[in-house]
Amino acid sequence: MKHSLVRPGIVAVFTVFAALLPYITGNLYYLHVATVIGVYWVLIATLNLLVGFTGQLSVGHVGLLAIGAYAFCLLAGGQGWNPFIALLAGGGVCAVIGLLLGLPSLRLPGFYFAMATLAFGLIVSELAQAEQWLTNGSVGMPAPSFPAPFDTPWGFYWLVFGIAAFITWMTANLARFMWGRAMVALRDSTVAASSVAIPIYWTKLIVFVFSGFTAGVAGGLYATSQSYITPDAFIVNLGIYFFVAIVIGGRGVIIGPFIGAAVLAAIPELVGPLAKYGTFFYGFILLVVVLVLPGGFGELINTLVEKLRRTPQSSTHIEPDLEQLRTAIRPRA
Amino acid sequence: MLLVIISGLALGGLYGMTALVYNVMYSTSKVLSFGTGQFAMVGGICTAWLVLDLHWPLWLGFVACLASGAAFGWLSEVIAVRRIVAASDEHLWVLSTLALSTMVQEAMSIWWGTDPTPFPRVLPQEFAGAFDQKFWLPLVLAVAMAVGLEQFYRRSMTGKLFIAMSEDAFAARARGVSTDRMRSLSYVLAGILGAMSGFAGGQLTFADFALGTALGLSGFIALAVGGIGSSVGALVGGAILGMLTSLTTHYFGAQYQKTIAIGLLILLLVVRPQGLFGTTRVRQV
Repeated sequence: MKHSLVRPGIVAVFTVFAALLPYITGNLYYLHVATVIGVYWVLIATLNLLVGFTGQLSVGHVGLLAIGAYAFCLLAGGQGWNPFIALLAGGGVCAVIGLLLGLPSLRLPGFYFAMATLAFGLIVSELAQAEQWLTNGSVGMPAPSFPAPFDTPWGFYWLVFGIAAFITWMTANLARFMWGRAMVALRDSTVAASSVAIPIYWTKLIVFVFSGFTAGVAGGLYATSQSYITPDAFIVNLGIYFFVAIVIGGRGVIIGPFIGAAVLAAIPELVGPLAKYGTFFYGFILLVVVLVLPGGFGELINTLVEKLRRTPQSSTHIEPDLEQLRTAIRPRA
Repeated sequence: MLLVIISGLALGGLYGMTALVYNVMYSTSKVLSFGTGQFAMVGGICTAWLVLDLHWPLWLGFVACLASGAAFGWLSEVIAVRRIVAASDEHLWVLSTLALSTMVQEAMSIWWGTDPTPFPRVLPQEFAGAFDQKFWLPLVLAVAMAVGLEQFYRRSMTGKLFIAMSEDAFAARARGVSTDRMRSLSYVLAGILGAMSGFAGGQLTFADFALGTALGLSGFIALAVGGIGSSVGALVGGAILGMLTSLTTHYFGAQYQKTIAIGLLILLLVVRPQGLFGTTRVRQV
């Protein structure tokens, strides 16, 4: 395959655009929306590894997001830790919980796993309501902000942007090389994958724990971006949103889910009346995409690009060497 | 204590009925629909609306409830299952039924509101503590439904065709069974049974838009505990889960219900993946 400069070019242009966004728009609200999209993306990027590449349908990542957010608020706000250390600690807590959740549930087949993670999401939101001594119940708790350069909306945006870019780079590397191949292989055929010595269970588990870690980090960032968290913020519908973003973006594509996440988060924010119907709208989009376009828009774009580029089918025409064939089959005299 | 046991059994009946509904759909399509619990939700809200708000007589409300379930079941087969099963990709039916279930739930929450509202009394009985109709109605109906389904599977031609399709859909098709029509029929039946369970459990759960997801999860746990495909298993699984839920609520408080339920599910699946009464192992090839 020829290395083209188109894709790196698009990525570079987009990166510069995203980095300069605070200068382009002076509107604080748009900046907030962009920040929230970045926060979601930190979670979705690795959830995509789990859902899109590995094919494990986790509906319950919103539970991990909630745990990360609460851990961040408790450690940085209550215990007075440095917010960055608290952010990493929140990620660590979620990685451990992801490990504990994944150990039994990743052994289960598709629908069972989806149900187990859905139940996990429900449990977390139930416990966040109930355990008042820890989470303050439905009253919620304030989220601390980050120290000096990152305490303005612009500064925080750049912090989120930096983390999101780093995570994207990591997931792209994971997806392109051996790990990504292993994930896609075990998604498409577990039996075939295990026959070529891919450790099925460990691959799933490690991807799950990694996505748990970034979900925790995203939780901390989410808490700061909202500046106050309550259990109501982490309803299961948010998990559906993550899911839809990945599916419409295209399973097994890195950048597709990003576009999905951005568009899905931006539409209800920017078109006021849609906010009430947000989840209904997500469900509708999910249904339409699954029925009409199972590969998502990422695959559609790939197909269109292939069509436009019109790479000729590289079929090598072989002239049979008839003379030699004749000699070969001629009976020996 | 009697009240704890009775309400546990009543909940168990409700969960068991949901598990039976899962079974009906699974037998013909091998699809575990995310929307299974929504049948009960739609049926319950439909009845509450018609009887309490529009003052329809109760029997007409019941008929309308079943009709809404049948329509919803049929639509969910047409919209979310038919094309997906034809394409036969395991992930996609999870997504399509999840999408449909989300849409229905959201539409209901927008139209009906998010607060649980009361459900009409079904029988003219004085409120009678532990022996009130809201407890025994779901329990009796669950047993009746399981017996009825078993009779249906064993005695009627349609039931036998369901069984044949659950054994091997291709072979059934090769023998001239109209598998598509049977699948539609099984979804209509599932919708009716689901709406009936929502009607029977309405006084216990109230007409609540969030009932569907909770019931779908609990019914699935009952199904997995009992074993997919077994009617007895569905009832026993439902009863175990219902008792556990009720006892947990009594001794530790309501906030640990789901934690205990999911703990039961995971424990059982690790020890005995096919469930208590299941025969076929879940194979992932």
